[in-house]
Amino acid sequence: MKQLLSAKTTSSVLYFLAGIFIMGGIWALIAKLTKGEIPDPSSTWVVFKEVIKQPFQNDSDQKGIGTKLLSSLGRVAIGFGLGSLFAVPIGLVMGSSKIAMRILNPMVQILKPVSPLAWFPLGLAIFQDSPKASVFMIFICCLWPTLINAAFGASNVPQDHKNVSKAFGFSTWKYLSKILVPFSLPHIITGLRLSIGIAWMVIVAGEMLSGGTGLGNFVWEEGFNGGNTAKILVAIIIIGLVGSLLDRCFTWLQQKFSYAL
Amino acid sequence: MSTSTTFEESTTEVTDRILSQVTQPEISIRVDNVTVSFKTPKGIYTAVKDIDLTVNKGEIVALIGHSGCGKSTLMGTISGMVKPSAGQVYANDKKVEAPGPDRGIVFQNYSLLPWLTVYKNIEVAVQSALKDLSSAEWNKLVEANLRMVNLWEHKDKLPGQLSGGMKQRVAIARAFAINPKILLLDEPFGALDALTKSAMHVELLKLWNLDNREKTIVMVTHDIEEAIFLADKVVVMNNGPAATIREIVEVPLKRPRNKKDIVHDPKYMEIHDRLLGLLIDKFSIDDER
Repeated sequence: MKQLLSAKTTSSVLYFLAGIFIMGGIWALIAKLTKGEIPDPSSTWVVFKEVIKQPFQNDSDQKGIGTKLLSSLGRVAIGFGLGSLFAVPIGLVMGSSKIAMRILNPMVQILKPVSPLAWFPLGLAIFQDSPKASVFMIFICCLWPTLINAAFGASNVPQDHKNVSKAFGFSTWKYLSKILVPFSLPHIITGLRLSIGIAWMVIVAGEMLSGGTGLGNFVWEEGFNGGNTAKILVAIIIIGLVGSLLDRCFTWLQQKFSYAL
Repeated sequence: MSTSTTFEESTTEVTDRILSQVTQPEISIRVDNVTVSFKTPKGIYTAVKDIDLTVNKGEIVALIGHSGCGKSTLMGTISGMVKPSAGQVYANDKKVEAPGPDRGIVFQNYSLLPWLTVYKNIEVAVQSALKDLSSAEWNKLVEANLRMVNLWEHKDKLPGQLSGGMKQRVAIARAFAINPKILLLDEPFGALDALTKSAMHVELLKLWNLDNREKTIVMVTHDIEEAIFLADKVVVMNNGPAATIREIVEVPLKRPRNKKDIVHDPKYMEIHDRLLGLLIDKFSIDDER
């Protein structure tokens, strides 16, 4: 069993390395074709090492990549946290009550397709502060997937479970805590996972607009304006790694809260 | 002279009343001219029509009929899950308006909450149905009922980790834990294999005996053997829509009943044939062309 497991791990590592190798090859080819306009993997690696040398440097004129990453993550965390705090209960109410669904659903359907970036100037007008405006933007874009999934979960509570609640005279609180929320939880987590994915995509764009400390700002100011394309690539790699890590966390949560029925 | 006659009359009246109280059993459930109709997109669908049924205290009654004959609907009117369109149902001398803790229900598909352990599944029911008890009393009830169905060692498992028979025992323990006067079983053993089913029948009667045969049990089934083994009365329903009671067959077999012996009892065979005749029109395929 143990051997089998390690054989499995080895093969997946090998496949991973093969993927990296192919990707690197294509990258090197593109670097050659663009005559160095896009830096090749090895020179990007040099820049990467340089960038992560002092990750948590936090001087007023010079900030490390770690500091920027944390500041981006902080904004995402606040926006995502606040958004979820609103989205989960509203979603559950929508899913449980036909009236609430009919009142709220049209608004959700209209607001959902709006690009998160469109909310940025509105946030700026409200808060007069660009970092706060990006938090506001994250907040808005985190609402919809969570809300819709929570509503879907709540509206699909099986009749069997409702019958148990009726037969034994569950109080409203018991119904919420023992039936509605546990049943909806896997759906809510799916919503949260979608939300954090969108938030992570949107924060980079938001920070490009807003400036201040953050990964988006790093891409724009140091990469593009600084004329250092390698830094853009480094940022892309870091953003990708962190994003997939966040997704992994929620996948793990999802597995933890799925019940064998 | 006249005084003595009135005295005599009054004594006979009193003895009559006392006698009638002893001999006339207490009524547990009274279904009074009940009709249930549902609104469907295709119009009004009447599931059961003009049902009259009286169940005495401590009786076991089986409702039997073909699928879709409205036996579950009829049971629903007793549990309070289904509102009759006409007529009333009285349970424990009270008109049934909604489900209540005086009627324990065991559902067709167990209906355990999959995210709660066996223990918690019963605990949450006990807490809700018997709000006035202390938490020590709740714990005692849960433990006693889980031990009764021999599942105490499995108390920390989730329903998903249990076999069908075990799940059904948890569901039965949950219904018994709230100590209802009436127990309603909706095709309780339908999903179990024949061997487990047989064991569960004995188990159910054991629990009923432990309780001095005071609980009234109404069960929906489509299994003739099950109905005869368990019940005092078998209520045979006509096919729906607008199903009515076709006949009520008494099962005067002595208790305790023995699974092995009972099938050789001529009375058993007679009842079995009678029920078969009521439920099945054709006993073999036609040979003629």
